[in-house]
Amino acid sequence: MAHDLGFWTLQALNALQLSMLLFLLSIGLTVIFGLMHFVNLAHGSLYALGAYFAASLAAVGGYWMGFFLAPVAVAGVGVLLYSGLIKRMRKSGPMAQVLVTFGLIFAMLDLTRIFWGDLALGIEVPALLDGRLAFLGVEYPTYRLFIIALGLAIFAALAFVLARTQIGAMIRAGVDNDAMAACLGINVERLFFMVFCFGCALAGLAGAVAAPLLSVTPDMGLQILIPTLIVIVIGGLGSLKGAVSGSLIYGFVQTFGAVLAPQLASVLIYALLAAVLVIKPVGLFPAKG
Amino acid sequence: MKRATLAALGLATSFAMPAAAEDIKVGLLLPFSGVYAALGNEIEAGFNLALEQFGDETDATFEIIREDTEVKPPVALGKAKKLILQDDVDVIAGIVSSGVLGAVRDMVHGAGVPLIVANAGNDEATGADCSPFITRMSFSNSQVNRPMGTWMHEQGIGKVYTLAPDYAAGHQMIDAFTASFTAAGGEVVGQEFTPFQKTQDFGPYLAQAKASGADAVYVFYAGGEAISFVKQYDSFGLKAELPLYGSGFLTSPLYVNAEGPAAEGVITALHYVPTIDSTANAVFADAFTAANGRVPSEFAVQGYDAARALIEATKTGASDRASLANALRNVKFEGPRGTLSIDPATNNVIQPIYVYETVAGEDTLTQKVLAQLPAEADPVNGCEMAPVSN
Amino acid sequence: MFRHNALRYAVLALLAAGALFQALTAEYFGLEILTEILILAMLVLALDIVAGFGGMVSLCHGALMGVGAYTYAILSTKAGIAPPVAMAGSIALTGVAAWVIGAICSRSHGIYFIMATLAFGQMAYSYVFEAPIFGGDDGLGGISRLDLSFIGVDLNDSRSFALFCLALLAAIYVASVLILRSGLGRSLSGVMHNEQRMRALGLTVWRVKADVFGLSGMIAGLAGALAAQHILYISPGLLSWTVSGEALVVVILGGLGTLVGPLVGAAAFVVLKHELSAVTTYWHLVVGVILIAVVMSRANGVFGWFESRWGDRIERRMADATRKQQSEEVLTDA
Repeated sequence: MAHDLGFWTLQALNALQLSMLLFLLSIGLTVIFGLMHFVNLAHGSLYALGAYFAASLAAVGGYWMGFFLAPVAVAGVGVLLYSGLIKRMRKSGPMAQVLVTFGLIFAMLDLTRIFWGDLALGIEVPALLDGRLAFLGVEYPTYRLFIIALGLAIFAALAFVLARTQIGAMIRAGVDNDAMAACLGINVERLFFMVFCFGCALAGLAGAVAAPLLSVTPDMGLQILIPTLIVIVIGGLGSLKGAVSGSLIYGFVQTFGAVLAPQLASVLIYALLAAVLVIKPVGLFPAKG
Repeated sequence: MKRATLAALGLATSFAMPAAAEDIKVGLLLPFSGVYAALGNEIEAGFNLALEQFGDETDATFEIIREDTEVKPPVALGKAKKLILQDDVDVIAGIVSSGVLGAVRDMVHGAGVPLIVANAGNDEATGADCSPFITRMSFSNSQVNRPMGTWMHEQGIGKVYTLAPDYAAGHQMIDAFTASFTAAGGEVVGQEFTPFQKTQDFGPYLAQAKASGADAVYVFYAGGEAISFVKQYDSFGLKAELPLYGSGFLTSPLYVNAEGPAAEGVITALHYVPTIDSTANAVFADAFTAANGRVPSEFAVQGYDAARALIEATKTGASDRASLANALRNVKFEGPRGTLSIDPATNNVIQPIYVYETVAGEDTLTQKVLAQLPAEADPVNGCEMAPVSN
Repeated sequence: MFRHNALRYAVLALLAAGALFQALTAEYFGLEILTEILILAMLVLALDIVAGFGGMVSLCHGALMGVGAYTYAILSTKAGIAPPVAMAGSIALTGVAAWVIGAICSRSHGIYFIMATLAFGQMAYSYVFEAPIFGGDDGLGGISRLDLSFIGVDLNDSRSFALFCLALLAAIYVASVLILRSGLGRSLSGVMHNEQRMRALGLTVWRVKADVFGLSGMIAGLAGALAAQHILYISPGLLSWTVSGEALVVVILGGLGTLVGPLVGAAAFVVLKHELSAVTTYWHLVVGVILIAVVMSRANGVFGWFESRWGDRIERRMADATRKQQSEEVLTDA
């Protein structure tokens, strides 16, 4: 089948949209890791929780209520997790962290089932973002353009905060050497706490944004976890640049793989990951050399 | 021990009461956790409703032992073995996924335990792998899709693009549709199978469908994938220029409300819709809605009719594995779906197929039946089975 | 290096006696559970060797077991190869696959190692899930068990199969101890404790890691071939990363790096799972909470906790004469 330029533009937009959704998820995970050396496998469960909160809130007060409040609610869960579990697990090895958060996946999966049931839920796209826009010569769903724009805006905001503000400098100092940063009078504990909650809020936001696009099911967190991990491992743990490049690589390989080599689409991304790990065992843009 | 005592009691009182009450042990093998948990719960709700409504028609009493398959074939096989060897059940009902049915098939066939299939639709189960002990009260994958090929061509649709998840059921559904559609003179201009349970973004495939030059798109998706697909199809604005048709699971009442207005105007075919106009369906749908707070789906009616078939079988006096298996193959009754009977050649249910459009109702989406396509038996597909012995 | 102490011997004897008793007396479902425990025990032994003694926390051992199971199933059903040869083939192939993964991942450490093995495991899962020859999501059936009728054993009988698995588990346990005590095992613990120093001493570190990972993979492959023969049906779910995660959970719940602990963990996990799933479909929630509690308690699993608490005391009582030497051993084990 020969395809015209419009077709490829459409696919590129699809790839970009998927990348931005993954970016929202992976940035939280990767910054938490970079700063705290903490591996949160339950990050996907927070995303699912965000989608469920958004679905419940949207039923009460419409889409925008879910959009704005779901991240706050998930950040609230983050506060509970941090003070109950994460704080004490900080100094444990990666294996203990993997296991505790693995336990959290189990627990949160069943908790969502208990609270929201097994039936899939859905949210409507808000009227403002319904329909399609003509863009680069193709008609593209407005909501997907909104996701792309949101992802880019958050990327720009984070890049600005990290590079230009005092809090950004503190975070960078913490990533480089947390002990030294603490010596310089930075309250590292409080910094960790804030970053963790912010990462959770971004996961919740990703869930709220994905909910109208996909279906809200108890296992959505498990489904998104592996792609998110692939993104941050390819990109390199702990860096903004890594998260964004990993997301783009994943989004484009997945989308164009599905179009050009459907039989290989899902194995392709794992093969790419293995290749990256062989050539650069710490990913493309790790936070530290 | 308990069973032996019961049997002895039955024997002792049989002079006084000619129709001695038989206690039938039923193993209900369904997913109560995992991706199909919602389906398992729906089938169980239907099953229990039928026991409640029709239980008095038979002298037999039923003891239900429920086991969770977790939608994992090896787990399900372990549970089936437990039901058969340890609990000594007389009959097993349930089974949602075809993988699970494939796994337990040899076990129930070998042990001679009747199995009433309440969902799994793989064609082989009532084809090459059929068994006199396996009676299917739900549907077969090709049964639901075959009539749609002919019907769509009659509506003047010439070229179709198809999409389905890349697993056995997806291929069977689409193949059955393709066969009848091309036989009627239609053309399938493109076909894609998406990675099963791993595709969340259908955008890439939708762009291909759009570029294919088809008149319509025919798909099979179920559960979470169906919700994502229908919403994304609508968001790309394809519904107007490229009408969406499919196997009826796409807009099942179980999750059509999660799809919302995106599902309006989608035309699909299925063996049951809650808006079928008949007394039997009204009785069922009203009772189900009252008990569960939502309209019944095809899964609920499958559980309902599975229990109904069991009750009908016990009415003939069947009470042990062999006699129940024989009696199940002979059941025929008028249910919510219309007249149901079992094809003696394959043990698959024979039932009408309903073409329906999802339309906006008063406050939720509802189903408008466009056509009732006559019941027809599946081809034998290599099924060789001893005839019913009495 | 791995050493037995009195406590370990005692627990081993207790476990062996319990398993044997169960195998000889249990009814049908009891035997099923016993066999499930024995096969899981093999998998977690394989995982404990690499994770507990080599610091290689693998999230692909479930997938390796799946490779073993699928290789056995394909070779014995589709290729028509005799079951004993198919079993040997599945062990060999899984070993080779594990060796390659171990070699590739040998440069990664910590979380990167975990992620890299996860990637390889998921790659195998995706492939098996999608390739038609493996039956896709529906899985594969028609598998038969080994034929041991020439020595008068019918493995199709649940009791014989449970005893057969028990014998193999015992053999694997002895083999694991021998591996860990060999030069290779000593090099491995050297690498875990100080990789730089071992490299400076002239050791080819990646070879040691790959060799041990390969041996561990062979055990996982054997467990897979037995799992296929136990259930007689396999599906891609066997390779999913959550199976690897659960195996890791069992190792941790039991006690990492103790070999005996994971055996206790396997028994506890399977029994717990069956008891809980009989009561509630939300049994994952309970398992998750228990897991969090155990890891948070900072004990090295149930057995590790027991050992650190009671190990010394029992030791002293049981071996007064060699007290000094024994307590040194406990120290080196810790």
